Amino acid sequence: MTERARHPILRLRSGRAISLLLIFVSGFFLLAIPAAASPVLDSITPTATAYTPPTPTMYLVTLTPTPTLAPTPTFDVSRLDKPIVDEPPSQLDEGLLVYWGVCMACHGDTGQGLTDAWRDSFGEDRDCWTSKCHASNHPPQGFEFPRLVPSLSDKGTLLRFVNAEQLYQYNLANMPWWDPGSLTKEKALAVTAYLLKMNGKLPEGVTLTAANGQFIPIQYTVMEPPAQSNLWKYLLAGALILSGIGIGLQSVQPHAGKRPSFILHLHPPTIPALQARFRYTLGAGGLAVFLCIILLVTGLLEMFYYIPSTERAAATIQEITFLVPYGGLVRNLHFWSAQALVVVAAIHLLRVVFTGAYAKPRRFNYILGLGLFVIVLLLDFTGYVLRWDEGIRWALIAGTNLLGSVPKIGEGLVRFVSGNLEPGPAMLIRFYAWHLFGLAILGGILMIWHLFRVRRDGGIAATRVERIGNPPDEESAPTRISRAELLRREAITMLVAGGILLLISTFLPAPIEQPMSSTLVSLAESRAPWFFLWVQELLKVGDPFLWGVATPLIVVLLLGLIPYVFPRVDESEIGRWLPRSGRAAQLFLATLLVTIITLTILATR
Amino acid sequence: MRPLPRRSFLKLLTNSLLTFSGALGLGGLARFFSFQADPPPPKEFDIGPAMNYPQGSVTVLLQIPATLRHTSKGFIAVSMKCTHLGCTVEKPGETFECPCHGSRFDEFGKVTRGPATRDLPQLEVIETEDGNLIVRAS
Ligand code: FES
Repeated sequence: MTERARHPILRLRSGRAISLLLIFVSGFFLLAIPAAASPVLDSITPTATAYTPPTPTMYLVTLTPTPTLAPTPTFDVSRLDKPIVDEPPSQLDEGLLVYWGVCMACHGDTGQGLTDAWRDSFGEDRDCWTSKCHASNHPPQGFEFPRLVPSLSDKGTLLRFVNAEQLYQYNLANMPWWDPGSLTKEKALAVTAYLLKMNGKLPEGVTLTAANGQFIPIQYTVMEPPAQSNLWKYLLAGALILSGIGIGLQSVQPHAGKRPSFILHLHPPTIPALQARFRYTLGAGGLAVFLCIILLVTGLLEMFYYIPSTERAAATIQEITFLVPYGGLVRNLHFWSAQALVVVAAIHLLRVVFTGAYAKPRRFNYILGLGLFVIVLLLDFTGYVLRWDEGIRWALIAGTNLLGSVPKIGEGLVRFVSGNLEPGPAMLIRFYAWHLFGLAILGGILMIWHLFRVRRDGGIAATRVERIGNPPDEESAPTRISRAELLRREAITMLVAGGILLLISTFLPAPIEQPMSSTLVSLAESRAPWFFLWVQELLKVGDPFLWGVATPLIVVLLLGLIPYVFPRVDESEIGRWLPRSGRAAQLFLATLLVTIITLTILATR
Repeated sequence: MRPLPRRSFLKLLTNSLLTFSGALGLGGLARFFSFQADPPPPKEFDIGPAMNYPQGSVTVLLQIPATLRHTSKGFIAVSMKCTHLGCTVEKPGETFECPCHGSRFDEFGKVTRGPATRDLPQLEVIETEDGNLIVRAS
């Protein structure tokens, strides 16, 4: 390794000291910050009582604080009067009566929950769990009475129910607390309708029936982001991650008297300096590997929380984003790395064609790379579907129907790819399986193969002849660089790219929308994900199969044919940008690129 | 014809057996993937008493999705599932517009602009004895 190439910061010792310091400082802060203010965690922390009521875990539920004796109970007792309703009572009136008779004692007359103010209405039995009323036929500590009763009317209270059907079933089976299952079906329906009304979820003039419940969406919102901002926590975590990477990379550097480390071993002992110039490779291949590693790690972390069911998928993504400590950072990193991977892979492809590096003996590896690119696009699409919120609905429906438009085998193809013709549990779990298993594993295998072939083919394409009369800056450079130097360059690229990604992920949240409801709402986003916008634009032209399936396939095919159709680039020109003998291929790819970009821009209008 | 040497015959045999079992395996895999795990979507929708939809009314029934009109000639239900690729069409006024690739349909579902080529189908509306309306999605 040459001395010239070393920047002081990257000098091993000082670098390590700085990273350690960073870890120390940020670790200190991270520990000092109180745990993320997660409503779930706060709300279900019960006070020490003999009995813990079966309070369902709800989001954004406000619960009453520990009961304390209020000095002067003042309560307008007329609030307890039986409500007067029209004859014959409507469903909502009946619901009100049920609520008054069954639910009100605990949940309050306005659905406020068992607040101190509401307990005042009980007069001297205000603290009936200590006043020992009914103690003769109840446990010694008094009348069994839940101390924590969720409010029913707060924003987001009903969020864990996807639709009215679920709320109805829940009430039917679990309420009232002291005698679950005692409500008749009619009463449960009526009181569910009343609860929906209370939360503004009942459409005007609708009578709730057992049949239409699933078409009345409840969970229809995106959680409020936590009040206190996560920005600086994310930034600190980012610093920690970066220094972690830094230290990790330093420890694999060669040490005198030690055998080379595993990571070092993955690199050839030396490579020609000409192959490692950044302005030649743009670092795209290496960056793609780095992004894949980030995607793998963040994806694994997300797996710990994500539940791939139609009811819970979007909700768990909201949990990851808003409630799980640092979950937002993890999800944003996963999202932005995935987007970046598409761009980086495209740049890599462009570089290879624009430098004429696709020719024999790298022809096969070119095809492998193209396959990887397609897999990346599919992974991005399947991952996007896993959100299962309103933002992906039309892309999913149009996408699966597009497959179905293939003549003859269309329906079978849809079945194979997405498990069912209509969005539903079967479709979600299949996309999940593709994303995490089918595509990810295939992609991983292809990636290793691709990397292996690079070495097998004698490194990346660069001229074998030392050119005479090199430009001055190349003259001083060594003709070969050691793997330590290569690793150092990789490290710099990784740290810079990682830093940029972390910044983006801190400040730009990944898109999220309200969970997909069973009712088809027309406010859904109607655009395809950005990398398929050009296909969406093509679809406006005409026949779906011709323009939506055949054309993109032909594009891939044409890309694959490049090394077979276009002449080999002249040996003397290999390893340079835009070799003259490769003009045809360059022109072809440029035209394709411009067309796709134009279509994409047209689609965003 | 010269008899096949023993070697070549055995080789041919093993190869064809291998091919055969491979094909069987692929077939099994295809069968494995063909199972339909979810029930098909409902075909009939009970939309309640007919008197809820008075003469002259136009109702959007999002659960089907369809638009129900009560005209002088009876009920007409027009499906709102785009015939192009299945997005639900929007109904900004009388006519239908698809948000996905911009197909347009008139109020009775006739295509007025592509890429869709088929009209939005009219769905059968049946009145039951107790006066409820049933819409049949095909
Ligand atoms: S799905 Fe309606 S125009 Fe394509």
